[in-house]
Amino acid sequence: MKKDHVFLMMVLPAFILFFIFHTYPALQGIFYSFTNFRGYGDWDFVGFINYFNVFQDGRALSAYGFTFQFAIVATLLVNMLSLFIAIGLNAKIKFRKTLRAMYFLPFILSVLIVSFIFQFMFTHMLPQLGQALDIDFLSRNILGNQNLAWIGVVIVAVWQSTAFNTLLYLAGLSTVDDQVYEAADIDGAGSWAKFWRLTFPLIAPFFTINMVVAMKNFLMAFDQIIGLTGGGPGRATESIALLIYRGGFEGGQFAYQSANAVIYFIVIVAISVIQLRILERKEVKG
Amino acid sequence: MSIKKVFLLPAAFGLTAFAAGCGGTDGGDGQVTLELFSNKSESIGTYERLIEDFESENPDISINLEAPPEAETVLRTRLTRGDMPDLMSIGGNATYGELAREGVFKDFTESAVLDEVQSSYVDMLNALVGPESEGNYGVPYATNANHVIYNQEKVDELGIDIPQDWNEFIDVLETAQDAGETPIFFTLQEAWTGMAVWNAVAGNLVEDDFAERKNEGEATFVDEYDEVADKMVQLLDYGHSDNFGVGYNDGNRAFATGGSVFYIQGNWAIPEILESNPDIELGTFALPSNEDAEENELVSGVDVVLTVSEETDHPEEAEKFLEFMVSQDVAEQYIDEQSAFSAVEGVFQEDEVFDGIREYFENDRLTSFPDHYYPAGMGVENLVQDFLINQNKEQSLEEIDNEWDANQNR
Amino acid sequence: MSSKVNWKATILLILGTVFILFPLYLTITIAFKTPQEMTGNLLALPETWTFDNFFRAIEVTNFFNALGNSVFVTVFTVAIVVLTHSMVAYAIARNMHKKFYKFLYFYFISAMFIPFPIIMLPLVLQTSAWGMDNLVGLGFLNGVMHLAFNVFIYVGYVKTLPVELEEAAHIDGAGTWKVFWKIIFPMMMPMHATVAILTALAAWNDFMLPLVILSDSSMYTLPLVQYAFQGQFSTDYNLAFASYLMAMLPMIVLYIFVQKWIIGGVMRGSLK
Repeated sequence: MKKDHVFLMMVLPAFILFFIFHTYPALQGIFYSFTNFRGYGDWDFVGFINYFNVFQDGRALSAYGFTFQFAIVATLLVNMLSLFIAIGLNAKIKFRKTLRAMYFLPFILSVLIVSFIFQFMFTHMLPQLGQALDIDFLSRNILGNQNLAWIGVVIVAVWQSTAFNTLLYLAGLSTVDDQVYEAADIDGAGSWAKFWRLTFPLIAPFFTINMVVAMKNFLMAFDQIIGLTGGGPGRATESIALLIYRGGFEGGQFAYQSANAVIYFIVIVAISVIQLRILERKEVKG
Repeated sequence: MSIKKVFLLPAAFGLTAFAAGCGGTDGGDGQVTLELFSNKSESIGTYERLIEDFESENPDISINLEAPPEAETVLRTRLTRGDMPDLMSIGGNATYGELAREGVFKDFTESAVLDEVQSSYVDMLNALVGPESEGNYGVPYATNANHVIYNQEKVDELGIDIPQDWNEFIDVLETAQDAGETPIFFTLQEAWTGMAVWNAVAGNLVEDDFAERKNEGEATFVDEYDEVADKMVQLLDYGHSDNFGVGYNDGNRAFATGGSVFYIQGNWAIPEILESNPDIELGTFALPSNEDAEENELVSGVDVVLTVSEETDHPEEAEKFLEFMVSQDVAEQYIDEQSAFSAVEGVFQEDEVFDGIREYFENDRLTSFPDHYYPAGMGVENLVQDFLINQNKEQSLEEIDNEWDANQNR
Repeated sequence: MSSKVNWKATILLILGTVFILFPLYLTITIAFKTPQEMTGNLLALPETWTFDNFFRAIEVTNFFNALGNSVFVTVFTVAIVVLTHSMVAYAIARNMHKKFYKFLYFYFISAMFIPFPIIMLPLVLQTSAWGMDNLVGLGFLNGVMHLAFNVFIYVGYVKTLPVELEEAAHIDGAGTWKVFWKIIFPMMMPMHATVAILTALAAWNDFMLPLVILSDSSMYTLPLVQYAFQGQFSTDYNLAFASYLMAMLPMIVLYIFVQKWIIGGVMRGSLK
């Protein structure tokens, strides 16, 4: 067999699977978004009506609002926290391996189950603490408060996702040569200056990747929300993914939610591209 | 172990699983397996016991019970898949009506099973389906009551008489509050529990044909639910300190252990409450949301419809199960364990918990759940929950109107 | 390695672990308590350490069935991923100069930015029409969902492997297939480990895909079972937490034994 043919054969299994279970359904989704298909029964083409309706749909807009608010805050918090932890773990500390293992532990746990556990804590423990300390907003379940429930979702996201990002930063820090610091020591630079002038530029590519990946993952939030609030109270924490799932099946809005999903896709791509542009420019500037 | 073996092992697994999956529902020995889909987590235990009895009577049929959370979403997913369960035990609500119109259920018009149940409930189901589809697509099995449950001991202590109209109800709530008790235990963290209140209040205040007129553009929530909204907000004043922070299960337990005097829930909550505290003495009454005592009726609907998929491979076996379910003993066991009411002729709920509402059944002072006629996809419970939190009446009612209309456009 | 131990950082980090360990401590203690103990101090240790809750949870949730499903899906997914993704990545990495392979690379990678919901609705239709709404189908789908990321890190790794070895083997008369299986595949071992670990974790903990794909509850994986039994757990938090703990335990135990390997694998992957 010719070499080129062999390479093609190697590509085939993954390509076929990917095409029929990813590209094909994606195309179908786009196709259905122009129809009034309910998931069953007859359907007709309706043009752009579904798209038009999504933009006027208060429920969809509030889902976008919540999802963005959550994703931005969670991304920033996770990245700040994990960078600090990574720097700490990279320092000359005792029990380094054990601590590193501890901080990575949340990553291996199921988001859904972790959310159930936090749901219990928010419902049964935090209010007791709030009452004991006489802090009014904590003395009730924050998941029952439309203005605070999203913070509960952020807390779980941060608890769980910091682990992975910490490890990525740690990997980034391990590429930094010790000699760079020694040179800085001779210059007499303080540790804060050392971080911003030396370390951060060197791990900037990791920062870029982490920001983009974390943001993308948080924009797709689903498990945490099912486990914590189910989208409530009201629709305060209904994420886009949850809306598409619920509306698409329960509401018989298959086509309509497909249109929503296409918009969602465009938004995610746009955000990722913008993020990459901005962060890469920063990287170059250092 | 070599790498090859490691990879071959799951492949072999996969093949067996695949083969098992293709085997379908028929074993070689004439064994038929039916799937029973239920939308109620409360009745899982009861169904498991009933299925066991049925299987011992019919050794060639076995039944798998599926009772997933968010059951209606799951059922719709199954419909999208073209994979409807053989047997279904679902609520008599808008989703039922929509699925029936879609023609996914078997028509029972010719079935003897339908003769065993009260025809008024059959009519109620047909009203959900609408006039354009002729036929009877479900067997009403159990009916429910959306009422106020009270803690007998506390009511006696406070010397409270059962209220007959709205003003008496508010007085009673005041009495409880003045005595330092929590009058009503709300569990509004779970949006659907707000609908128990909504339906109880709206049932006696809003005209029965509201949904019909709404669909024709002749009625709006803004116009006709104004009083409902006001009264719901009024009731919230008699809740506990964290009305939106506690869910249904925790609420059942809290009420069972003396957390409040009253609890606005359906009869389905009673077994759950008794499970938390078997010694509690309970009573029930219809929520008198109307100022005129004569106007107050009990909100009741078909809680459980038994139906069969049009496409099942085993219609006779499925029918056999329905026959089993509507037999007197089984129907009695069901309502006893579930504290429900039976749609089966000659089977009555005699539990004294329901002494307070029995009269409504006997005199046919019943009204149906308003929300059973709302479009299924609009997610009204979240809108109502949102309203209760923000208490911005005009804006919320307008939003409910809009969601209804938008839902028809999708 | 001249400077002293940084005690400030050490102490801060040790204090920080409280936040990580607290939910786990809570899970473990509640799983061992009785419902009566729940009314007391929630932070206290259980009065007696009995396994009753666990036995009940095993029975109620049919734990071993779900465990079997999870193990099957995870192993099946990892097998598919390691076999097909390494192969396709090798072909791409060695042919990047050709337009077709370059296109293929970006085609696959672009999937990273396609949100799952856009394919979810059609996928449900498709898998059931093809009789793939089962564990085997789930395995294949998992393979597809991780393709983008895995190709990305596999290609990065293959590029670092010297071409000379392959060329020498070709001169000795070995075909490309043989070269791949005998030389490249074994050399990719470190990346196989990384890919296998990340894919296994994702497949084990996945919730959304099994939720929409699986129809029969006897096929439910562990996270899905925890979700499905919310109604039955009711307010029996001891039962629920015992069930949660058991669902997480296999991964925790694995982690304790091979954590160095897992962390190493992930860090290696991130440097690609």
